[in-house]
Parts: sequence; structure tokens; C-alpha cells
Amino acid sequence: MERRTGDPVLDVRGLSTSFFTDDGEVKAVRDVSFDLAAGETLGIVGESGCGKSVSALSILGLLPRPGRVVAGEILFKGRDLLTIGREELRQVRGRDIAMIFQDPLSSLSPVHRIGFQVEEAMRAHDKVPSREVRPRGLELLNRVRVPDAARRERNYPHQFSGGMRQRVMIAMGLSNRPEILIADEPTTALDVTVQAQIIQLLRDLNRDLGTSIILITHNLGVVAGLCTRVVVMYAGEIVEQGPTEQIFDSPQHPYTWALLRSLPRVDSARLQRLPSIEGLPPDLIAPPPGCKFNPRCPFRLERCFRDSPELKPVGDGQTAACWVTMKRAYAEMGAASLVDTRPGVASGVGPPATATEAASDPEPEAPGS
Amino acid sequence: MAATLTPWEEYAGGTLAREQVGLWRDGLRRLRRNRLALAAAVYLILLVVMCVVSIFWTPYNPNLVGTCPDYTLPSLAHPLGCDDLGRDTLSRLMVGSQVSLAVGLICATIVMVVGVSVGLLIGYLRGVLDAIFALIINVFYGVPPLMVAIVLYVLLGPGLINIIIAIAAVTWMDMARLVRGQTLSIREREFIEAARAGGARTGRILFVHIFPNALGPIIVQTTYVVPAAILTSAFFSFLGFGVPAPQADWGGMASEGLSPLLSGFDPYMLLFPALALSLTLLAFNFFGDGLRDAFDPRQRR
Amino acid sequence: MTRGTLVYIIQRLAIIALTLLVVSFGVFVVVHSLPGNAFISQRVHGKSLQLLLHEYGLDQPILIQYWNFLKGAVQGNLGVSLYIRGEPVTPLVLRELSVSCELGGAALIVTIGLGITFGVLAAIRQNTWVDYLLTSFAVIGYTVPSFVIAALGVMVFANFLGTLTNGNFAYAAVWTGTYGTIGELWLPALAIGLYTSGQITRITRASMLEVIQQDYIRTARAKGLREWVITLRHGLRNALVPVVSILGTTVVGILVGVLVIENIFGIPGLGKEFVESITEHDYNVTVGVFTIFALLIGVSNLIVDLLYTVLDPRIRY
Repeated sequence: MERRTGDPVLDVRGLSTSFFTDDGEVKAVRDVSFDLAAGETLGIVGESGCGKSVSALSILGLLPRPGRVVAGEILFKGRDLLTIGREELRQVRGRDIAMIFQDPLSSLSPVHRIGFQVEEAMRAHDKVPSREVRPRGLELLNRVRVPDAARRERNYPHQFSGGMRQRVMIAMGLSNRPEILIADEPTTALDVTVQAQIIQLLRDLNRDLGTSIILITHNLGVVAGLCTRVVVMYAGEIVEQGPTEQIFDSPQHPYTWALLRSLPRVDSARLQRLPSIEGLPPDLIAPPPGCKFNPRCPFRLERCFRDSPELKPVGDGQTAACWVTMKRAYAEMGAASLVDTRPGVASGVGPPATATEAASDPEPEAPGS
Repeated sequence: MAATLTPWEEYAGGTLAREQVGLWRDGLRRLRRNRLALAAAVYLILLVVMCVVSIFWTPYNPNLVGTCPDYTLPSLAHPLGCDDLGRDTLSRLMVGSQVSLAVGLICATIVMVVGVSVGLLIGYLRGVLDAIFALIINVFYGVPPLMVAIVLYVLLGPGLINIIIAIAAVTWMDMARLVRGQTLSIREREFIEAARAGGARTGRILFVHIFPNALGPIIVQTTYVVPAAILTSAFFSFLGFGVPAPQADWGGMASEGLSPLLSGFDPYMLLFPALALSLTLLAFNFFGDGLRDAFDPRQRR
Repeated sequence: MTRGTLVYIIQRLAIIALTLLVVSFGVFVVVHSLPGNAFISQRVHGKSLQLLLHEYGLDQPILIQYWNFLKGAVQGNLGVSLYIRGEPVTPLVLRELSVSCELGGAALIVTIGLGITFGVLAAIRQNTWVDYLLTSFAVIGYTVPSFVIAALGVMVFANFLGTLTNGNFAYAAVWTGTYGTIGELWLPALAIGLYTSGQITRITRASMLEVIQQDYIRTARAKGLREWVITLRHGLRNALVPVVSILGTTVVGILVGVLVIENIFGIPGLGKEFVESITEHDYNVTVGVFTIFALLIGVSNLIVDLLYTVLDPRIRY
């Protein structure tokens, strides 16, 4: 895993996005910062509603109506994408930064031929000269491995299978040789074998074309197959980030840890219960004080109810936002042998001003920080 | 035949019934917030009041020729002026509302009764009846309903009742088609199967179970049938097929006012009945829109 | 054109033929059972009446009469007028058809042009004053009867404008000649078109609003397409299908409007003929007019249904 050198191609700093609905301001993304190096593959992971898609949409200004970026900078090639004019942003879209989406059936116009839609992406900008558009379109379809491309480019989206459609989307996205490709859950709507093919395709394209990729997903397996670095989000904030292998080997945030534990494994004991994370994500209009994960964290301390943790280095290139961190949880709270992951169970700490839960765990209480 | 509902039927029907009640209350609340629909409702209520009053009293005798000089322009004594035969326009307008409202409401009632019954039966029983219905619809779809209505009316002879029958005869099919569609989808829901398993007779199923669940769109459609019927009857009168003289009627009054308008010397004879007609139609349409917006289960953003 | 489409067209043409049969028969029977006839209105009675009735075959049983009519009709001969003795109905009706088509065609252009433009504008400027203005305009359009709009138009453009400009720029309310010039055509076309365009505006707006929410609009924007391209090529194009679905009703609406407006402005088309033939008891003409109308509607509905396949490649028969 080589050290990242040079200027990042994309630098997101302190991004905050909210949705101003009738029920109040939904703080979907809060103070998110990450960067992307040239040729790198970054994964953004989290459950539904954690703000990963919203962050991506914020980059290109594609937020739906009540949503708005309220703070932060998005630096791309020396310019802040949040402050450049509409026409400039339009030129960045599809030409320098491309985005593909989750459901390729609804993401392609049903009444236009797919060849046309791919060519349209090129004609919208002046990077590819007109006479090269058609041959390039065919070349792209071949590269993403659409069989019989010359004939099939005259077909409509509904005549393709899900996997084929996603390949077409990828071809469309890469048609202008963008520096960055953002893929928002590209495999979620596909079945498992096709998923693997798409991930493989993305990996090959990253290698051959040098395009940086941001992959947004809730599927950790997919991340493992493609990304060199991972950002873990929860309730609109980044809770951990770092090199993929390190995160998988020693996750430091309890959420990441629980997430990895909840993956079904081929080698687990047959009748073992699948560990899951109790509880639900917090209300983003009125989030609880302190660490947003505290209602569900087995290792929470009193401080977790008061102060919101910030990202701090916990390893080589790895940062996590937690007062406890798994190192301590393993050392002091017996995380290694923990079966019951109800909130507060391992630390014996309950929410303030309410009766503390009876600790069934015989381990001694962690000393308050 | 089960005299009481089976537990499953009760659960399904009960839950749905409670769902429905909630829907109604919710909808009523939304309706009250829609100011345009409320204004329309107020206008309509005033219209009905004026119509009822006109049965017993009008400022002048609407049919008396020579109440004022021909083509009087609006003045204090005659706020809407007089027509070409010296009859007071305001009084005629009031009496004319009787015809319009009668046509609208009676037509809508007939259409609702016939259309709903036929629609329910066809949607539920299907088979040969459905095929015949489809054939009838296809044939009638190919002719302008106004023309068919006119021919029917000429056949039946003059008179208000015959106008109503002629108009209803070309309008019921849309209602039947709507109800048929609703029935087709409702009949697939579980509580119908439960009712059938409980031994309920067809008639009971149709009217106790299916009909209440289709009521929403039916009511909305009916509020659109009223202005459509009034409009058609106005066209009738305008083309010369209306209620026989001397009965005042908005369409007829407008038709009489046409040549003075085209010749340029008295626009009011046409203006006032046309205005009355337009406002009434607008009011019905806005109210219908309000109903539909209020009771549409799809939430708006 | 696929084989399925061809089969579909043939099926539809068969249905049209069947409809024409049923309609013409129905109207024939109804109209012949009406009391009185053209001759009696012209005060012919007694022996000369009998002679005339025999000459025109009106003393034979209805079914025989209809059979004769049918035989002639499939060869294009729709009989002869009773009011204007001996004048063949077919050329009369066809000439008036062309007049009505001119008016109807103009109204159609108004309808679609205004309707779609307003609908798109209202949708992309949803909930702004533009939206409220255009939507109110549309509602007034399809609620207020066409003769009211026509009358208002005359009031403003003929009378008011006439007195204002001393008769120089007024609208001439009465047609000269068979075919109208654009100067004469625009007001009647507008009066008809405003009504039907209101419905189109509504549906276009609703459909556009739904389409704008779709994912492929987001994709189009992510590709960096210009805003107007997104609105028209991806938005409107996809929104057209529901609009086409009411085109059938719209055509009927235009025909009804033509019927009424012709009678107001004295335009010598099928609408005026229809009313006249009924009041004059000129039955053959009535049947002829009805048949032509039914044919028009049948064909236009077929065209609309075929339009679906062009617009939405997912629809194939």
C-alpha cells in the first residue's frame, strides 16, 4: 500500500448538507472531509440514510429540491465546486467528474436508444471532436464488454438486462475520460454474480485508464474487492477512515467493528446467531447530544453522552472518531468474547438520568475517562 | 350464509374500515384548508339559495313581455338590463338557474345510479357482459356525444326531462367504465375473498364491501359530471334544442343575445347569462378539484 | 412496422367499419322515425307529397331503405338531399368537411401549441406566479364554454376594437366565401382551441412534474447537458405519452367545438350543416354528416394509438 503523494485530485473539506423540509432541517451530512488522490479507489460505506449518497450528490450539485449545501469547500483542480458558476459546473459534470447511479433501468431515458445516450454524453462537451463521437461510443461499449455492440447500440434500455444497463451507464460515464468517476451503489440493484463482474470491470478500468473512483455502497464485500481506502459514515458524519486492509483487520470504531461482525461468514458455526446492531439510526432533525452512535454502542462511556468525538489518528493513515476505540474495548471490556451487543452492555454505562442497565457482564467497569 | 363476519373478515374489513374513516377525516381537513374550493362551495350554496328563492319570488315576472323598453342597459331599476322582448334579465337569470341546476343535479344522479350499478356488475361478474359493454363503449367512443344527445333529444321530443335523459344517456358510460375499473382492482383484495368464503351473496359483496371502497373516485367523478351536464345543456339551448320558450334558460338567453352582440349594440344580453354559466361551471370544477386533491391518498411533497 | 402492428391496424379498421355501420344504421332509423320530413316542412302535401316520397324511396320499409343506402354508401354515394332536391350528399358533405377541417386543423394547432408550451412552462416553474397564471388560464379555458369565449372575443376584437380604431382594425365576425383567411380564422380557432388546450396544459404539466422527478433526469444533469436540452429532450419527450392518451378526447372536443362555433360565426362547415339538416328534417344529410364524423373520430383515434408506438418504444402491439 503505497503512500499517497502529491496533491489530491479532489479535496472535500467540512462539507455539510441539509434538507429543509416541512418537518424541519434534516442535517443529512455534517462536517465531512476526505480527499481523493489521482488513480485512487475510495469507498464510502454506511447504512441507508447515513449521508453517503448525499455527500456524493453535493459534489456535483445534484441535490434534489429541499436539499442545499450549507457549509464547506469542494476543491477540484484548484476551484471550489460550490462557488463556481452554473455554466462552469455544467462543464465539470460528465467531462471532468462523472457519476453513475444505482438503478440503471430508471437512470436511463426509456425513449432514447442507448447508443444515442452514450454519444449524447460526449456531444454535450467539446472534449471529443464530433467525428470521433460515434466510433468512440462503439469502442466504449466494447470496452465495458457489451456483446455485439455495433448492433445493440440501437436498442432501448428496456431491451437490456440489469448488468448490461449498468455497463452502458459506465460507458456513458467514462466517455469523456473524466478524472473522477463517482459510482453510487452501482451493484445494489444487481444479483451477486453480476455484481462481481461490474466490480471487476471497474477495477480494470481504474487500472487501464487511471480514473479515480469513488464507490458508494453499504456492501463491505464490494468495498473489499475494489477500494484501496475506505470512509465509514454514520448519521451524516465520518466515523472512521483509512486503508481498506487495515480497517478490515482492526476496525477502531465500534460501528465499523459491529458492521464487520454482522457479515455472514462461510466459516461460522452453523447454528450461531448472526450478530446485528440493535436499534435504529438517529433522527437527523434533532440528533442526540454527544456521539451519535451512543444509543446503540455496547462500549459507551458517560463522556459519549456529552461530547461529540472528533476524528483522531488511531493507526498508520487510519483515523476514527471515538472516545473508547476498539483497542480499549478489547483490552478492558472483553470485546473479543462479546456475544450480547446490546447498547451499553460491555461498559455497563446507560444513558444519563435513567436507571443504568443491569450489567450481566462480569467484567469490571471501565474507569470513567 | 354467515350472519356475522368471520374473525378474518372482521379484521380485514374492520381495519380497512378504520383506514377509510381516517381517510375521510384527513381529507375533510385538507379540504377545509383549500381556499379556492371553499370559495367555490360558498358560491354554489348561494346559487342554490338563489335558485330556491326564484321558485317563489323574482324582482319582476321573468316571462312578462314589456316590463321595460327593449334592450335596456343595466340600471338601478333593472340591474342587469332587459332583453329584446323587454323582459327583466335578472329575473330571467334567477329562473334560468333552476333549469341549469336541475339538469346538472338530476343528470348526475341518474349517471351515478346507472353507471355505478352497471360498473359494479360488469366489474364483478365480467364474462359476456364485459364483452358487450366493451363493444358498446367502442362504438360510442367513435361519435361526439353531443351529436348523439341532440339526435336522441330530437327523437324524444321537447321538454326538460328529455334533455336530461338525452344527456344522461351519453354520460353514464364514463362512470360505468370508472366503476368497472375500480371493481376489478378491489375484487382482488383479500377481504373480498374472506367475505365470499364466509358465504356472502353477490349483492351483499357488491354494495357492502366493494362500493364503499370505490366511493372516493365515484364522488369526485360525479362532481365533474354536474358541470359537464350543465355545459352540454347550454350547448343544446345555444344551438336551438333547448327548453321550449318562454322558460328562461341560460343557454337560450345567451343564444338570443348573440346577434345583438355581433351587431354590436347590446353585449349585455349575452354577457350576463354567459357569466353566470361560466362562474357556475368554474365553481363546480374547482370544488371537484378540491375534493380530488383532498381525498387523493397520494401525499404531496 | 412489425407484423403485430399491421394486425392491430387491420383490427382497428374493422372496428371502425363496424362502428360506422352501427352508427349510420342507428341514426338512419332514429332520423326516419321522426315526425315530419323535409317535404312537409316545405309545405308539400297530398298527391305531390306521395309522388315525392315515392321518387325518393321514402315510402319503402326502413330496412330496405337502409339497405339501399348502404349499397350506395360503400361506393361513396351517400344519397341525395331532400331539402335541396336531388343535390347529391357526398360532394356537399365533403366540401363542408374541408371547411371544417380547416377550422379544426387551426384549432388543433392552437390546442397543441399553447397546451404543451404552457404545460411545460408551468411545470418547470412550479409554484411560482408563472405556474399559477398559466394553470388558472388553463382552468378557465376548459371550463368556460367555447361560445362564451367566442362572444367575448367578438366583443373585444370586433366591437371594442372597431369603435376604438373607427372600423380599421376590427375583426370581421362574418365569413365571406367558403374558406376563411387567417384574419377570419384565428378567432374561431382560438375559441375552440382555448377549451381543449386547457386540458392539454393540465396533463402536460402533471406529466412533466412526474417526469422531472425521475432518475434519468438526474443522469442527464450529471452528464452535463444544458438545462433546456434536459427539459425538452429528456423531460418533455418522456412526458408526452400521457398527453397523447387524451389526444383522442381532445379531437372529439375540437369536433364539438367546431360544431358550436360554426353555428355562431356562420361558417359553412359540417357543424352548421348538422344543425340545419336536423331542423330541416333533411335526413339523408344528417346521416351523411354523422357518418363522416364517426369516420373522422375513428381514424384519428387510430392515429393516436399508433402514435404511442412511435413515442414510447416499450409499447408494441
